Amino acid sequence: MREKHDAPDLAAERNLVLSSLEHDQLVTAKKHRIGRRRLKGPELLILSALRLYLIFMMAVVGYQVWMAAR
Amino acid sequence: MMKPFATETEEAVVITHEDVDRAHDRIRVFDARARRGFASKARLLWLLVGPGVLVMLGENDGPSMLSYAATGAKFGIGFFLPFVALTFCMAIVVQEMTVRLGAATHRGHAELIFERFGPFWGWFSMIDLGIGNFLTLITEFIAIRAGLGYFGVPPWAAIMIALATLYAALMSHRYWTWERITLAAAAFNLIFIPVALMTHPRWSSLSHAFFSLQPLPPFNKDTVLIVLADIGATVTPWMLFFQQSATVDKGMTTKDIRFGRIDTVLGAALATAAAVATIIATAPLFAHQMSAGNFEAAQFAQALEPLIGRFGASLFALGMVEAGIVAAITISTSSAYAFGEVTHKPHSLNLPMRQGKSFYAVLTLCAVAAAVVVLIPGLPLVYVVLVVNVVAVLAMPPALVFLFMLVNDKEIMGDLVSPLWANVLSTAVVLLLTAAGILFGISVVAPNVFAALGGR
Repeated sequence: MREKHDAPDLAAERNLVLSSLEHDQLVTAKKHRIGRRRLKGPELLILSALRLYLIFMMAVVGYQVWMAAR
Repeated sequence: MMKPFATETEEAVVITHEDVDRAHDRIRVFDARARRGFASKARLLWLLVGPGVLVMLGENDGPSMLSYAATGAKFGIGFFLPFVALTFCMAIVVQEMTVRLGAATHRGHAELIFERFGPFWGWFSMIDLGIGNFLTLITEFIAIRAGLGYFGVPPWAAIMIALATLYAALMSHRYWTWERITLAAAAFNLIFIPVALMTHPRWSSLSHAFFSLQPLPPFNKDTVLIVLADIGATVTPWMLFFQQSATVDKGMTTKDIRFGRIDTVLGAALATAAAVATIIATAPLFAHQMSAGNFEAAQFAQALEPLIGRFGASLFALGMVEAGIVAAITISTSSAYAFGEVTHKPHSLNLPMRQGKSFYAVLTLCAVAAAVVVLIPGLPLVYVVLVVNVVAVLAMPPALVFLFMLVNDKEIMGDLVSPLWANVLSTAVVLLLTAAGILFGISVVAPNVFAALGGR
């Protein structure tokens, strides 16, 4: 159960990996998705407010560049 | 940490090339940690430094060094010296959280945002990162072109040199080798220190500025822009994504967090030294009343030539080239990491080319696309340089709130959630950055407000 690799001693490599990496560090383990968390009201409010802030400020930057270019 | 989400079934574990390379790196860390004595501790530090120094010196990039140079030329030695040091303290607070997140979860920043908050918020942060990274990459190639232009290198050749260096760092297909090559290149950021010394600064003025924050700049639109540009020169979204992904790729674990912090502080100290040196180096232009606000890299070098000679000016131009190249490497890598994390494609600098095609393709495409933009004749690139640091500051608060929420998420962080003092500091950073952004908005939309407040 190993992807293509040219080293000769597969068992030794497997032991090396399993003894030196934490389980969550293995590429296989990372394929498992982390559960999603439910955002609470205040969190959603802050994230939405900051999104609006960013969109508005980008428009301000665009205006500044337009003014400078004129 | 992460245990609730790790694989529940003990299915056959697939060992990949990436795992093997990372395991070899970890063995060296275990060996160094097992021994006693100063030499072993020094070796452990040598093995574990990297992401923090790279991210801090990487952020001393083309537009950042131009911002510092413009600061020195416009305001001389004064308030901005301690201010820049303060912004790097802010960067330490922020970046330390990414070390903890990476070491505790072994997941990249983009991956965590997507999986914990869902694709809606995930794509927003990816769009922010993508736009910011692309604009910043363009400015890196502008800095490289301008810096090498000082030596008479034509633009196309300058761009080819930069792309060849980026490719050479990647050729090893090994995180460790890539990190050491990039660190060696990043060390040249300190070239600005001898340049500053060549200007024979008055040490009494420097210490006075550091301890008194004096003289203060006038409160006007230009000052707000420079303040924002200098903040944007030290804290940007790509840094969060890069350091967390690099921490994961390096294989750091919770036992390495202390060294991860040392790495971050060391990087910030080196970057502060280079940034302050750049301000000091161009301060004589302020003393000579030279209008250098919109200078490019080569023009700064040319303006400094009568003051510090051809050798000093050449060092300055080379520093700009280095700043651009190292940042081009780290920023394109951060884009490739984020892409791989979001699409669940292999994403590691330990991957051989055939296994990491999409990772290397994204990395190369980002760099080549930005390089090509710089070569299009007649494009008003000066506006990109002007706004890139400002855009970085504006995009930081949303990015920081995600980081703040992740690092306080007990389900994934366990006991490593942020302590109260860290939360207070990071909240202060978010508020400061938002306030700076709002101030910038007022200065653009209603500049008369500044006049009413006594500015010009």
